[in-house]
Amino acid sequence: MDTLDSLLAARSLTKHYGSVVALDSADFSVTAGITGLLGENGAGKSTAIKIFLGLVTPTGGRAEVFGRDASLEIDMRSRLGYMPEHDCLPSNVIAAEFLTHMAEASGLPPKQARSRAADTLRHVGLFEERYRPIGDYSTGMKQRVKLAQCLVHDPALILLDEPTAGLDPGGREEMLDLVRKTYNEFGISIVLSTHLMNDVERTADRIIVLREGRVVEEGRVSSFTSESETVYVDVDERREEFAAALSAKNVSSRTEGSSVVIEDVADDLYDRIRDALAESGASLRRMGPRRHSLIEVFETDDVNGSNAAPVPAGEPEATRNQAA
Amino acid sequence: MSTHAEGRVFDIGYQRYEGPRGGREKARAAIFKDGVKTALGIGRGWRSKVMPWFAIFAAAMAALIMAIIVITIDRVLPDGTISRDLLSHSDYYQTASIILFLFAAIVGPELLCPDRRNGVINLYLVRPLTRLDYLAARWMAFFSVMLAVAWLPQFILLAGLVFGDPDPAGYLRDNWLDVPKFLGAGFAIALYVTTLGLAVAAFTTRSAYAAIFLAGLFVVSLFTINGFTSDTSIGIDTRKWIALFSLRDIPMFMDGIIFSNTTILSEATAGGWPAQEAARQHPNALLVAWYTIWVALPGLVLWWRYRRISG
Repeated sequence: MDTLDSLLAARSLTKHYGSVVALDSADFSVTAGITGLLGENGAGKSTAIKIFLGLVTPTGGRAEVFGRDASLEIDMRSRLGYMPEHDCLPSNVIAAEFLTHMAEASGLPPKQARSRAADTLRHVGLFEERYRPIGDYSTGMKQRVKLAQCLVHDPALILLDEPTAGLDPGGREEMLDLVRKTYNEFGISIVLSTHLMNDVERTADRIIVLREGRVVEEGRVSSFTSESETVYVDVDERREEFAAALSAKNVSSRTEGSSVVIEDVADDLYDRIRDALAESGASLRRMGPRRHSLIEVFETDDVNGSNAAPVPAGEPEATRNQAA
Repeated sequence: MSTHAEGRVFDIGYQRYEGPRGGREKARAAIFKDGVKTALGIGRGWRSKVMPWFAIFAAAMAALIMAIIVITIDRVLPDGTISRDLLSHSDYYQTASIILFLFAAIVGPELLCPDRRNGVINLYLVRPLTRLDYLAARWMAFFSVMLAVAWLPQFILLAGLVFGDPDPAGYLRDNWLDVPKFLGAGFAIALYVTTLGLAVAAFTTRSAYAAIFLAGLFVVSLFTINGFTSDTSIGIDTRKWIALFSLRDIPMFMDGIIFSNTTILSEATAGGWPAQEAARQHPNALLVAWYTIWVALPGLVLWWRYRRISG
């Protein structure tokens, strides 16, 4: 990819912590849009982000931000935003004051910093609460302040490290909506680092999958979730008769919940399904090809011998650990 | 002729920013400003205001009491001359230095420890500044506050000394050099406590631990070393070296060099600080060198601790 097009670029990026290899000659680039950086815990996502931000020095290779060396160019950080995974907020300062300070620390004049702090808190839904000490906020509100502080200076690109960590399902939805809205309405590109595939699938346009410090998958999310050769047919009643009629027409099927699942590649498949429906008297409710989910993509990888591990959101911890 | 009400639409909420952006200089200035506010508890809850303002009040009160004393005592001698050696600006530092040290011990760590404890430093370090920019801005912020805390009471005392004198203009004419002297001595104290205080704070993320350690260091070394140096059974050649390790007295050696004259008050209280008496046996150059080491070494330690820090 052309350097000018890429907001971030990793060129054989390597980072060792003693004998531990966090990044192993990783090559990838991030363009405008929302990019999901997916991988299990320890895959190298946070290390990569910290290298791009200049917090960590790479052992080898080169990290480029806006086409320039991340470790040398400090001023370009005024066009970057970062939302860390862990706590990063003072408890005894009010949100408006904190955001104003963060905007000033990014180089904005005091008057504009104050005005943008209020506007950004409105964007994340905390305008009414802006004069409360951050220590009094709930986990969800603190996550919003974390998002606000990385937006307050109007960066061109923000890097979000596990932005939905610790949020309940409702809070997660709201955070992902905010992320999407931030790109859609303001054109601020986003790198979303997470181990939750659903978050990436719901939010990102592109995906980069890291495993053990290496890039194992890279491309548009839609290319991973393309239509499969599986057809789902939902019928209201007479499901068994419908399945028998399919069988009589040499169409193999299985039931999955309320659906009849057909995995066939026959050219006249839809004609035979139509005929089976007519003969069985089953009333059709819904029919269509099924799209792969990212979860399925990585489950398939796992079956094939690799240890893919990003987990679907909401899985219990035991399942996550098992997946990891 | 009809008038039309004019409406205006305000687009509130998040918008793109096209205005000016400063670089490292503005970022450093923001960290400095925040450091001053943190030290004084400005924009923080009342708990953050109690200790700094109590210490400032105590330091100011010490100066005020001394000012009242010089105003109320009749300084015209029977022969018509004016006694101007009742007390000096040096006596203020000798009396109030423990307040300044406790202020540094309690407030100094607040500028560094919470940033690492709650992770805010991660947000600073991804902005357009380096680790050393951050550290320099924090150091400068606390140094400025310490200077103000050391100097402001001296101006209260100066007002007392001037207006308590039967000849205020004459007092100013004869003693104008006291102003650069107390500014210089205050500078030496502020430089020392700022650097030492922040160096200790660089080793812990808990402000309370650093504060207790620093206060203990000042108080314990003060009483222990002054106890040893008051023991005349120990030879003066030994005592003068022991005296160098009273951490509270190290910047006061500079005060003693700057204000070489004695006053009635300093004569009366000389026995209270035998470490300084013993240390005077050393040449001034050695005391200056010793002070310089105690500023430079914590400075290097502070830089070393922060050169690779990342939250």
